[in-house]
Amino acid sequence: MHGFNPKWRDVPHFINGITYEIWEARQIGSLHSRYAPGLIVRSPASVLTDNTNVIAATMATLAEFPDRELLGEDVIWCEDPEGRTETSEAFLSSHRLICTATHSRPGAYGAPTGKRLAYRILADCAIRDDAVYDEWLVRDQSAIVQQMGFDLVDWTRDLIAREGGPENCVEPMTPAIDVPGPYDRHGNDNPWGQKHADLLSAIMAGHMDRIPAVYDRGAALHYPGHVTTQGRSEADQFWMGLRAAFPDAAFSIDHVIGRDDPLMPPRSAVRWSLHGKHSGWGRFGRPTGAEVYVMGISHAEWGPFGDGTPSLRREWTLIDETAIWKQILLKTGQHA
Amino acid sequence: MKDFSNQFKDLPDYILKITKEIWEDRGLSTLHHYYGKDIPMRFPSGLVRGNAGVIDGTLATLCEFPDRQLLGEDVIWSQDTQDTGRYLSSHRLVTMGTHTGHGAFGPPTGKRFEIRVIADCAAKADVIDDEWLIRDVGGIARQLGWDPVEYARYQIQTEGGPDKCQRPFHPDHDVDGPYMGRGNDNEWGQRLASILTQMMDKDFTVIRREYDRAARTEHWGARGGWSFDFAETDWMRLRSSFPTAAFKIHHVIGREDPGTPYRAAVRWSLTGKHSGHGFFGAPTGAEVHVMGATHAEWGEWGLRREFTILDEVAIWKQIHLHTGNVE
Repeated sequence: MHGFNPKWRDVPHFINGITYEIWEARQIGSLHSRYAPGLIVRSPASVLTDNTNVIAATMATLAEFPDRELLGEDVIWCEDPEGRTETSEAFLSSHRLICTATHSRPGAYGAPTGKRLAYRILADCAIRDDAVYDEWLVRDQSAIVQQMGFDLVDWTRDLIAREGGPENCVEPMTPAIDVPGPYDRHGNDNPWGQKHADLLSAIMAGHMDRIPAVYDRGAALHYPGHVTTQGRSEADQFWMGLRAAFPDAAFSIDHVIGRDDPLMPPRSAVRWSLHGKHSGWGRFGRPTGAEVYVMGISHAEWGPFGDGTPSLRREWTLIDETAIWKQILLKTGQHA
Repeated sequence: MKDFSNQFKDLPDYILKITKEIWEDRGLSTLHHYYGKDIPMRFPSGLVRGNAGVIDGTLATLCEFPDRQLLGEDVIWSQDTQDTGRYLSSHRLVTMGTHTGHGAFGPPTGKRFEIRVIADCAAKADVIDDEWLIRDVGGIARQLGWDPVEYARYQIQTEGGPDKCQRPFHPDHDVDGPYMGRGNDNEWGQRLASILTQMMDKDFTVIRREYDRAARTEHWGARGGWSFDFAETDWMRLRSSFPTAAFKIHHVIGREDPGTPYRAAVRWSLTGKHSGHGFFGAPTGAEVHVMGATHAEWGEWGLRREFTILDEVAIWKQIHLHTGNVE
């Protein structure tokens, strides 16, 4: 870990360590050095190019959710030789977290509901010189909203109003407003990552029969809205419902990592996107024709089981459904 | 695999295939082949002998939940050291179904359940001839709208009252089957056995030492949680209900398989008095046997996943039969 504080053993240690220090150990001020100047944070809800506000935003979250814990489930990472500088090695980390918190104070979500929340975040961070210098993050926003007791679409409509209406509200991420950052690489070429990317590409091309061929019969699945389920037909229904809503959208594989680590099953992390019209019946109701950009991140664990052929045994996929609804509401004028 | 049909590549393949063949593919009659004629099956709800009973039980369950699926999550297995053609499979599965028929849970509710099961099966030459099977009956009961306390009373009544109902399993009723193994001596099995033993010795600091901070724990009652707190609280409540009960480790497997995290399967029990507060209400002094099975997976940061199944309904039944409060 040349270029990083020597207390960090490896990339997962660094990522889990700084996450803990910033949030739970309250070293919020350390963001000055841990977020590189000019860092761009892309999430489905926004493209943040001005990070001067990050400390205030972190404090606002902790003021609303004082007991928020970030439990690092996995860090799937790759080397980034092209990103190396004279002073530091570089890496890309895809971090999967479980976030638990009690909504106990007033804040961005309104008056405290007292609800106990559990949801996942998948965050891709480019790191070097002991800092994060480029980022893509998908939070399971529909889990948060639904666990607080709100309806997804109503909440999103309110959000537009709270942010000042369609003219002034925060614009969800689309290629039109995305800003290229310093990290423009595409991961590593480990076969498990490739296998995962091939699976998603096949599904998006309508080869739904790849699901029973590649997923284990008992695969454990984790989907948006904090849904935990099991088995091939559930995987089929998630991916079918998503593709059916955007049948003609362009699918793109944006970043792929595979890993074989001791003590761990083979695993993969894929960042992908769909861009096109909401022109079909599916997960997002009546087709509206709205142009929508969907940024998704998927993690998987693989292994030999049953007849010994390696299969996908666990999957985590997140998209931000509120950001999708926001695009639909804004473009159809149904925000009022 | 010595003496097994060559359609099976290895023990997990055998277990997964025959499970699907028997249940989803409706091959109940294959149990004449795959299950020993005199197999002792130890359920927390009681000891059952012979494959005829297994076939009838399978049929009754399929009538109650015709769409029942059994999805194998893992098979953690060992080979007998003496008799190398004999294996023990600890099979963890998620099973789900819709309650559309009459049966042990009463008239159909149309509700769906999803629970975990851990089945320890001894197999030799294509045949399972010894078994320990723990279903999360408390999880089914809750999802079908029962309180497990009340469902245990309902069981006693529908089985003919406190004098005639089926007796929950107790080691006094046990019989020796053909499998006398204790597992293997892989270090991960020993590690899980040691974690459980320390908890049952009331050293709950072991969880913070051994578990990953982001560990996921799946427990009986179809409940689960993350990190240390859920595991600590749940294990403390269990031990606190039976604070003086004898804890025994019966079977321990550890495995290091390529492409798979290190993992372990331990079958254990608690036998003794219901003499404390915890999971099972006010102490009643009932003599209780708790049959438990735990699976675990490790990663770079400690124990990442823990799965423990016990049958709360069988425990409540023992408590009700002791107190006589069966109405």
